[in-house]
Amino acid sequence: MQKLLETLLIGVSTGSIYALMSLALVLVWRSTRVVNFAQAGQAMLSTYIGFEIASRTEIFWLGLACAITAGALLGAGVDYFFMRVLFKRAVSGPAAVVAPVIATLGLLGLIRSIVGLIWGGEFKSIEAPASKNGFTLGETTIPFSALNLLIIATASLILITLAIIFQRTNLGLSLRASAYAPEIAQLAGIKTARTRTIGWAIAGGVGGVAGMLVTSYNFLSPYSLDLLLVFGFIAAVIGGLESMVGSVIGALTLGIGLTFILNYIGTSLVFIGGFAVLIVVLLLKPDGIMARGKVRRA
Amino acid sequence: MELWPEVRCAVRKKIAFFILLGWLLLLIGDRIDELRVYQGAQIAMYTIALASIVLLTGYSGQISLGNGAMMAVGGYAAALSLNKLESPVWFAFLMAVFFSALFGALLGAAAARLSGPYLAGTTLALAVGLPEIANQFAFLGGVPGILFDVGFPPARFGEEFTQYKWFFWIATFLALLSLFITSNILQSRFGRTWSAIRSNPLAAELSGIHSSRMKILAFTISSALAGLAGAVLAMTISLVAPGAYTLTLSFALVTGAVLAGVSSLPGVALGALILVAIPEIADVLANSWGGGENFSNYLPGLIVSLLLILSVIFTPNGPGENLRRHHHKKASEH
Amino acid sequence: MIRETRRRGAWLAATVLAAGSLIATALPAYAETGVSSSEIKLGITLPLTGAASPGYNKIGNAMNAYFKYVNENGGVYGRKITLIQKNDEYSPQLSIAKTNELILKDKVFALVGPLGTANFTAVHKSVGLAKRGVPSLFLNTGFSGFAKKANYPASFMILPSYAMEAKIIAQFLKENHAGKKLGIVYQNDEFGIDGMGAFKAAGTKFDVTVPYTSGSQSAATAQTWVSQLAAGGAQVVVFFGVTSATAPLLAVAAGAKYAPQWILGSVGSDPLTLRALGVPVAVLNGAQTPAGNPSPNDTSDEYVKQFQEINTKYNTGTAFDDYVLQGMNIGLMTVQALRAAGPNPTRKGLTSAIETKGSTFASVAYSPLGYSKTSNVGHTGYYMAVMDANGDRKPFGGTVKLYTTDSGSGPVVLSTFKRPAMPAKGLPSNS
Repeated sequence: MQKLLETLLIGVSTGSIYALMSLALVLVWRSTRVVNFAQAGQAMLSTYIGFEIASRTEIFWLGLACAITAGALLGAGVDYFFMRVLFKRAVSGPAAVVAPVIATLGLLGLIRSIVGLIWGGEFKSIEAPASKNGFTLGETTIPFSALNLLIIATASLILITLAIIFQRTNLGLSLRASAYAPEIAQLAGIKTARTRTIGWAIAGGVGGVAGMLVTSYNFLSPYSLDLLLVFGFIAAVIGGLESMVGSVIGALTLGIGLTFILNYIGTSLVFIGGFAVLIVVLLLKPDGIMARGKVRRA
Repeated sequence: MELWPEVRCAVRKKIAFFILLGWLLLLIGDRIDELRVYQGAQIAMYTIALASIVLLTGYSGQISLGNGAMMAVGGYAAALSLNKLESPVWFAFLMAVFFSALFGALLGAAAARLSGPYLAGTTLALAVGLPEIANQFAFLGGVPGILFDVGFPPARFGEEFTQYKWFFWIATFLALLSLFITSNILQSRFGRTWSAIRSNPLAAELSGIHSSRMKILAFTISSALAGLAGAVLAMTISLVAPGAYTLTLSFALVTGAVLAGVSSLPGVALGALILVAIPEIADVLANSWGGGENFSNYLPGLIVSLLLILSVIFTPNGPGENLRRHHHKKASEH
Repeated sequence: MIRETRRRGAWLAATVLAAGSLIATALPAYAETGVSSSEIKLGITLPLTGAASPGYNKIGNAMNAYFKYVNENGGVYGRKITLIQKNDEYSPQLSIAKTNELILKDKVFALVGPLGTANFTAVHKSVGLAKRGVPSLFLNTGFSGFAKKANYPASFMILPSYAMEAKIIAQFLKENHAGKKLGIVYQNDEFGIDGMGAFKAAGTKFDVTVPYTSGSQSAATAQTWVSQLAAGGAQVVVFFGVTSATAPLLAVAAGAKYAPQWILGSVGSDPLTLRALGVPVAVLNGAQTPAGNPSPNDTSDEYVKQFQEINTKYNTGTAFDDYVLQGMNIGLMTVQALRAAGPNPTRKGLTSAIETKGSTFASVAYSPLGYSKTSNVGHTGYYMAVMDANGDRKPFGGTVKLYTTDSGSGPVVLSTFKRPAMPAKGLPSNS
């Protein structure tokens, strides 16, 4: 019983970080119809910047704030300078299928190399803002720590903020409109291109949070966020890529599922477990869990 | 098959071409030093792997980020056949092709309804997850992997005939064979059908093409090629281990294919050359510019990524397309 | 027709391009094997970055620092030693690729100190070191299989084997922790399995066994190790893995308030690196570990003192720890080996020099060296040590009690061996 509870709690904590990443991916997908693999690179660079600030000032939250800002600027920059150029040019021929994917992959590699050149490949670590010691209930100590709780709290805060922005503000309305029907939105006077850039900025900021949270308990290196990208992407696909709620559900499912496999079966099946979850979901519902019939696709 | 006599003539010309090419490469292999011979074997390996991408993505329009995993299937199948069944080398390669084709068919069946990012996500998960299976079952060798020993070159070639040259011969032969077969498939009605499905799926369905069956076929053949490449890779490093078939490999394959033109089969030789040459060039650059460890570790990645981005932006369909456009412009000006 | 020609044109172009670049970059026929009138080239593959690199990535620079010192004092018979380091990220595939570069491109005379069990196994087979006759000196791994001369004719160990280490730990457990519940965490490849085999042969029964896959170590997986150990009630836990796995294990255990008696295998026990990876020094206090060398902080030891001076002058910015000590010692051994090979060294000559004279070389480790015409074995023993509240290492029981043994079924014996004195100023003058 205790093991079950432990697994559940850790799964939620891990899943909430995946949720941030998958949310960022869905945000970009819905506004641009591109899966932004460079999200991991943006998150990584933002995290390194956050790391620099956090280790110099010894304040984690300041580092986090910087990471969010850096991520937002990076996201906006990538959309403005990179994506627009890409779409003007790579629109025909067999490569149209793969061009955006490859381009973002290339961007990921580029950012990773630049980070490596500047900071090197050495493992870096940040002082966690909360204790990593498990909570003690009487005799037993469970592996769920104050840090895990903080991660869940931070992720939830971000998710709720985003939900409010999207559902209750004009900006959110513009974002959703530009993503769903750009021509009509433009006719209604919404500056779709600028709105899209804002969407990328938000996604970049969220990615920065995800990276900082992961780094609070794992080492930072030019490769440390790769797993986050893979699982964030899988979570987004499970959730259906069209729905933000779906991506959160998908992420939590994935987080809990993977932790179950980790605790009950063993480390070596974790990745193939993720693949199995994905295949099962897509076989039953090729458009993801939250899909309702024929949704608009690429 | 209709068009039989015309096809026969073209095929004969192609056979002659390939034999000539093989002879040329053999002669080159005799003139250059061992490191280059070894790299030649690697280029041959990448050629086969890139051909699998061209078929799958360039022709049938299905994006896969998991061809590295298919290479792993081929590599392990060949190694197990060699070690457990003690089969001859050619049989091991046959097993590689067979099992990866089987896996490809299964994957294709599961993925037939998927497209775009959903397919990318699935193949991505496969690329990350499949090599990890080796850690679960002891007979797959775990992280250190299984040794893959194709044996020494036949004694009649003499003392000077090094192991790496033997690899080069085997790899080049297999590469030429694969290219020959693949180019025939792509030029046949299969290739045309795939192109049709890729450019306009709806029209293809309406004209009676069985889309999912053809897509599964594409996955099967592409995986067979990837599996063969995986076995050749295992041969060149005498080892099959999960670390040889990482996500990075899958990314590198897609990169190479795009750089040389994702739908151009002749381009795979160029793409393979680039993939092997870049770390070399980066090494030379890093050494001449000085700079520390960081430089030589990350410079190859930087160059590859930069090249990739530039080529996607400026020549998304490979350098061949730009040449063709140039030709057309010249032709229309007359 | 036009299309056909154009397509054939593309084929031809691709071929010519491929052939042309191959020829253009081809080098002339084979150069000499790494020795010139002014230089001896040596190569090493080790993890400079990546999951397993913390700690080990210092070994190469430490070796280099020692070589620089020797070069500035006349070199080896007037030749300067150049060490080429290649990063293999602890991945056997990369080790193979980088070793190919070292041998075929950089054309080194010999390999020195290549790191990693799975790595060297793969390299030796794949690159064909035996057939090429490239010597590999003083491997940075203790896998007992490497000692078999028949399989590894030109490779020489320096560390005691993992089987030896396990036997000595097993004896220590019997003498000092009898009756307690035992647990073990080990890396699930030849490195860890080598130790496990010896534990089994020595009759040690573990109540909890936790294998981990190399590369999978992290805070999350360490969580599962600790859960298993705690659930099994292990009071003494042996750890046989790399430093980057020791760190999360100790850190997570401390967080979960699980505090067994730790016995850390020599490979993953350097206190300085562990603290850099986040292990509180309070957790290290009392941890026991087999050690072959004196503590790197023990300046009363002549070897340590000399190496520290060299480190300060030639390897500035790097703190002196177990790995720096190990690297410098390998440098010392290498220079002695090169000198013993004579003023006109050949690869074969180097190998026989170590076989005939290697057992008398000066080394910082306390145990005797076992090189001979029939054995590649380097050091042959350990003493047990304990870490104190400062993370420093002191001999268990106050004085160094050296135990020696073999990798097979031989007994573990208390040894009175006295190691050779360090050559004056740390500069060998042997021949």
